[in-house]
Amino acid sequence: MPDDTNDDTVEDGAPNAEHEATIATLARELGDGAVVESGVLGGANPGVASLVVRVRPDAWARAAHVCRSTLGYDYLCFIAGIDWMPMPAADEDAEGDTSAPVQPKEMTFGVAGSEGRFQAFAHVESTRVPRSGLTLKTDVDEQDPHVQSWFATYPGADWHERECWEMYGFVFDGHPNLRHIYLPSNFEGHPLRKDFPLLAREVKPWPGLVNVEAMPGEAGDDEEEAAS
Amino acid sequence: MGLISSGTLRKGPLKPVGELLNYSRKYSLWMFQWGLACCAIEMGVALAGPRYDVMRLGVIPFPASPRQADLIVISGTVTDKMAPAIKRLYEQMPDPKYVISMGSCANCGGPYWDSYSVTKGVDQIIPVDVYVPGCPPRPEAFIQGIVMLQERIQKEDPADRWQGKGWEPIVVAG
Repeated sequence: MPDDTNDDTVEDGAPNAEHEATIATLARELGDGAVVESGVLGGANPGVASLVVRVRPDAWARAAHVCRSTLGYDYLCFIAGIDWMPMPAADEDAEGDTSAPVQPKEMTFGVAGSEGRFQAFAHVESTRVPRSGLTLKTDVDEQDPHVQSWFATYPGADWHERECWEMYGFVFDGHPNLRHIYLPSNFEGHPLRKDFPLLAREVKPWPGLVNVEAMPGEAGDDEEEAAS
Repeated sequence: MGLISSGTLRKGPLKPVGELLNYSRKYSLWMFQWGLACCAIEMGVALAGPRYDVMRLGVIPFPASPRQADLIVISGTVTDKMAPAIKRLYEQMPDPKYVISMGSCANCGGPYWDSYSVTKGVDQIIPVDVYVPGCPPRPEAFIQGIVMLQERIQKEDPADRWQGKGWEPIVVAG
């Protein structure tokens, strides 16, 4: 391993040799440009840096199989969804939002990019080989949100996909039992979508970070100022 | 018409009997504890910890079933999914029954004021006698709520209670 991989100052996005090998294996096994983009989260320090690979939606289930059988990632950490839509309250006419940092008004995407608003992502780890885990992402169509299920490869994907289905409305093709897991069975809508209406916020908009008390010793801490 | 519902125990020669009845009820509250979230830990401290020990006030925690309980403490976040179960257990309790809502979540939704899944106050589903504010409340605040509830029981006319009168909630001041 080259010495510079231990350098904490390396910025996000520079894969080390181990990452390169993983990407190469995925590209070889999935073939035909199925690996769309990749990036590294958290510097290039092995054990800390986490590789993020974005694959084409039609290669999602096969990617899971390659992770488990070829790459030896035997443990599925989680499957979840992402909605990259900006927070609705962050537009021009929202008043009183004091959130810091200021919420983005345009859609912004994380490491390895995205085609559109929705993404599914999953993190796998190895319990046998001491190395950092791998995060896989795939784009999900906004109008027709279908994702291939990982259930056949990782049976533990069962509850994660059910949660993702009820929270984001992603339909996991091949999942045997897609029904509500946390929400009441008559719940309508997908509450973790950014455009899900929160009735309380219709009445009183999100106030942001108002009324945050200063930590002891920080500027603005009353007792500290009284003592000085 | 029975002794209680006729109000006979509140006036006349039998008034001391009514007071004795209230005094007895006040110091033998069987408490069904409904730990829903982090407030339940604080309640556990107030109940089981030797420092606070609510049993010295005649509150008997942990009955086996709501059908043996006089008092239910809703401690924690009430979700829309849990609400029907709370309502059902409350309805299984024998009259007269009392409810303490413990903590900001059970009082009004608390930090989950805008959540899609949290019931904004347990008083939307069952009537509440005592509100204990705090996130979580100190055990002292919870015990104060019990004491204030006992004062209400001492003063009340069971007939009123059964006719649905006297539901003005008590709020434990911070």
